[in-house]
Amino acid sequence: MISKEICERVLQKASSTGADYAELFAENTLNHAVNLVGGKVDSVHDSQIAGAAVRVFLGLRSVMATTVDTTESGLLRCAQRAAEALAEGKAEISISLRERLFGDIHPIRIVPASVANADKAALLKDACSAASEYDAAVVQVTGTLLDVDRRILVATSEGLWTQDRQIRTRMMVSAVAEVNGETQTGGCRPGARTGMELFERVDPRAIGREAARQAVTMAGAGYCPAGVMPVAIGNGFGGVIFHEACGHSLEATGVAYGNSQFCDKLGQKIAHEKVTAIDDGTIPNDWGSINIDDEGTPARRNVLIEKGVLKTYMIDKFNGRRMGMASTGSARRQDFSFVPTSRMTNTFLAPGSDKEEDIIASIEYGLYAKEMGGGSVNPVTGEFNFAVNEGYIIRGGKVCEPVRGASLVGKGSDVIQKIDMVSDNLLCGQGMCGSSSGSIPTNVGQPLIRVSSITVGGR
Amino acid sequence: MDFQTFRQFVADEAAKLHIEEYELYYQLEESTSVSVFRHEVNRFSDSGEGGVCLRCLINGKMGYASTQLLSEESARALVRRAADNASVLESSEPEFLVEAGQSYQTAAVSTSPIPAADVLRKTALAGQDALYAQSGVVDGSRTEAFAEHIHIAIHNSRGLDLRYENTVSGAFLAAVVSNGEEKANSFKSCLGALEQLDLAGTAKEAADTARATLGAGIAPTGAMPVVFSPKAMSQLLGTYAGVFSAENVQKGLSLLKDKEGETIAAPSVTLVDDPFYKDSAMPIPFDGEGSPTRCKKVIENGVLNTLLYNLSTAAAAGKATTGNASKSSYDSKVGIRPFTMYLEKGELTQEQLLEKAQNGVLIDSLGGLHAGANTISGDFSLQSSGFLIEKGKKAAPVRSFTVAGNFFSLLRGIAAVADDPQPPTSPSFTAFVSPSVLVEGLTIAGK
Repeated sequence: MISKEICERVLQKASSTGADYAELFAENTLNHAVNLVGGKVDSVHDSQIAGAAVRVFLGLRSVMATTVDTTESGLLRCAQRAAEALAEGKAEISISLRERLFGDIHPIRIVPASVANADKAALLKDACSAASEYDAAVVQVTGTLLDVDRRILVATSEGLWTQDRQIRTRMMVSAVAEVNGETQTGGCRPGARTGMELFERVDPRAIGREAARQAVTMAGAGYCPAGVMPVAIGNGFGGVIFHEACGHSLEATGVAYGNSQFCDKLGQKIAHEKVTAIDDGTIPNDWGSINIDDEGTPARRNVLIEKGVLKTYMIDKFNGRRMGMASTGSARRQDFSFVPTSRMTNTFLAPGSDKEEDIIASIEYGLYAKEMGGGSVNPVTGEFNFAVNEGYIIRGGKVCEPVRGASLVGKGSDVIQKIDMVSDNLLCGQGMCGSSSGSIPTNVGQPLIRVSSITVGGR
Repeated sequence: MDFQTFRQFVADEAAKLHIEEYELYYQLEESTSVSVFRHEVNRFSDSGEGGVCLRCLINGKMGYASTQLLSEESARALVRRAADNASVLESSEPEFLVEAGQSYQTAAVSTSPIPAADVLRKTALAGQDALYAQSGVVDGSRTEAFAEHIHIAIHNSRGLDLRYENTVSGAFLAAVVSNGEEKANSFKSCLGALEQLDLAGTAKEAADTARATLGAGIAPTGAMPVVFSPKAMSQLLGTYAGVFSAENVQKGLSLLKDKEGETIAAPSVTLVDDPFYKDSAMPIPFDGEGSPTRCKKVIENGVLNTLLYNLSTAAAAGKATTGNASKSSYDSKVGIRPFTMYLEKGELTQEQLLEKAQNGVLIDSLGGLHAGANTISGDFSLQSSGFLIEKGKKAAPVRSFTVAGNFFSLLRGIAAVADDPQPPTSPSFTAFVSPSVLVEGLTIAGK
């Protein structure tokens, strides 16, 4: 993308007013998506993101300047802007970059751009027609097959010069079902850090059927009752509870500024002893995986909580300075125009030894949240919320009728102490996580768990 | 390479491929922001970002491709990609490019340059001082001053050549307060020329809002009257604005199909969409495909007057566009969105709404709207914070409870609209404004 020699000159310019650290991040990304509505190709999204960001640090100050002009003169102007905004001093430093390769632990076989639009559309049509054919109650189906081919370059004043290529593929199908005049939706959205070989192991028709099954089930369901009750949360995307209730509050983004309920808690018991939580960017070909983060630090497996005890936060270089702690390979940004910060990759609760059937049987009256939707959290207070996409009432230890329109709310530091049963069937689900550095792919995951009591929003 | 040169390379390549109808949409956003923590500048950001989107109309299909890389090679690739993308489309909606020569209203925009970094720095530091002057404010509070210059150009093969430039600036104040036992936070933005911002007032509002929630209890569970604050109601309107999109209606993704001309809300509800709203930071005379924009009543006294249309959906419905074509980003497909959408104010004060409610909940803020609100069915179950209403008065703070209902029923269940709308504080083309409203028939889940 950009030669070592140009990067050296840009970093020298960036450091010319006394920065103690300078970084050049350049990106060239192709975003592609085929969209289907009602069985027909409705649109194709095809967008090239290309630009660069120069960041300089001086103590606890950081400056970032970005540009879409990636010629040498454009990059030098960008570096000049960053240097001038940082300080007024004058410094002469010489930077000599050495290439480092961190290896690719996420092999790709079929580069998405090598597959014709028509072939992508055919896969999507398979999925959407399976949804339409699932039940006469299905009245509309929409689908998207998206792929991202992201090339990044990171060069720093510490001598690092490295590149990475990150390819991801995802299919998303949504179904709308109508039963007795009541409309509900269902969705299925698997993805991976792979190319189009994803569809050798994931059957598009199964994606469509799952979306339709959820919509039809929920359209026939009554409203979820409101109140405080025990809740069993299903495996897979159910892991969004840890992501929202706890994960965001362990990011240096909040912790470095004292804005987290888990500040100053390292080494302390913050969760039930059955809770072990891990953020692992190194799982081969998983949706949230990376080789290096967006500051050029290799991905790591970070055990966040072990048997209830807080082990580490997720840290990027800049916030790490304020915390006096090293990067954990957690710096991520949607694209070059966002200031990177600490984020999650693949975050999941480790499997426990309880059995699924025992968890359900242990609940006299409560909710089984089989499929979860998205959520959000206020890291300062720890208050979180998330939606239940497919829920069932548990009565007398048995899963009974489906209920719709439920959400779960609570406070992270409370709820992780109430996760008191953890089963052994770990599964992950794919999502997009939004925060100050933009929208990034993350996996959430868990086995089936029991939360002994939580507020269920229903009516 | 500048846009004009790039445009010529695109024209050459289009001619070579015999593509006669196309549009180039160019957007550049230059922005500067300074962030202050503990009275020191800790972040400075200076960004220039934008790109070009090409739309080619080939055999009645509109193919799209976008790039941020302005070079001869990328111009040629852009045309080929858009043409290839057009060839796979199957939707039968009619597609159009805007004709040149239409008349446009004038929008009150600012063409002043982005203020110097030093002015931004002083504003952010002054904002921080204003925050710390409030009682209970602790470290963690953050202030940001920002300025943004946006430049849009739409050029098409029918001679259309539109330009838009606007500069907005303001400050963002995030207050974290503590009573020694627990922390709470709230943020507030203000827009305007940096030297004229009411930083003290904004800081007071942010800190007061945060402090009011300290020691909050949990709401009771049950069906009860709910008063939504201007902020909470505008959040709800923003979440459900898509139901008024003709595109969603035509694709079977909105329940307002065949509802134009019918009563869908209480008689006190009049919902207006105004691209030239008096307090909007981003008034704009043309929409995302270049059609003139105008003010329209979407709901008038409870009756759905019109959906929001762009050229394609208007043609499919046999109507004229309402000038609501949107580009949520330079590289996105033309969709539909409102500009400033506001609920017309009523005559009562918020206090009078509380009096009418007698016992219930005043919801000040909603959370998790992207997850807890289903925009197709209208069902929602949302994290809330606010105050109890006891004997017609605002009482103790409550948080971490949910409010559940259905947006379409809520519109019909609006019992009263207050007179207290607040101006929009986000520097964007789309904003939502509402006074407080009293709604019957919602369910609160707390303890």
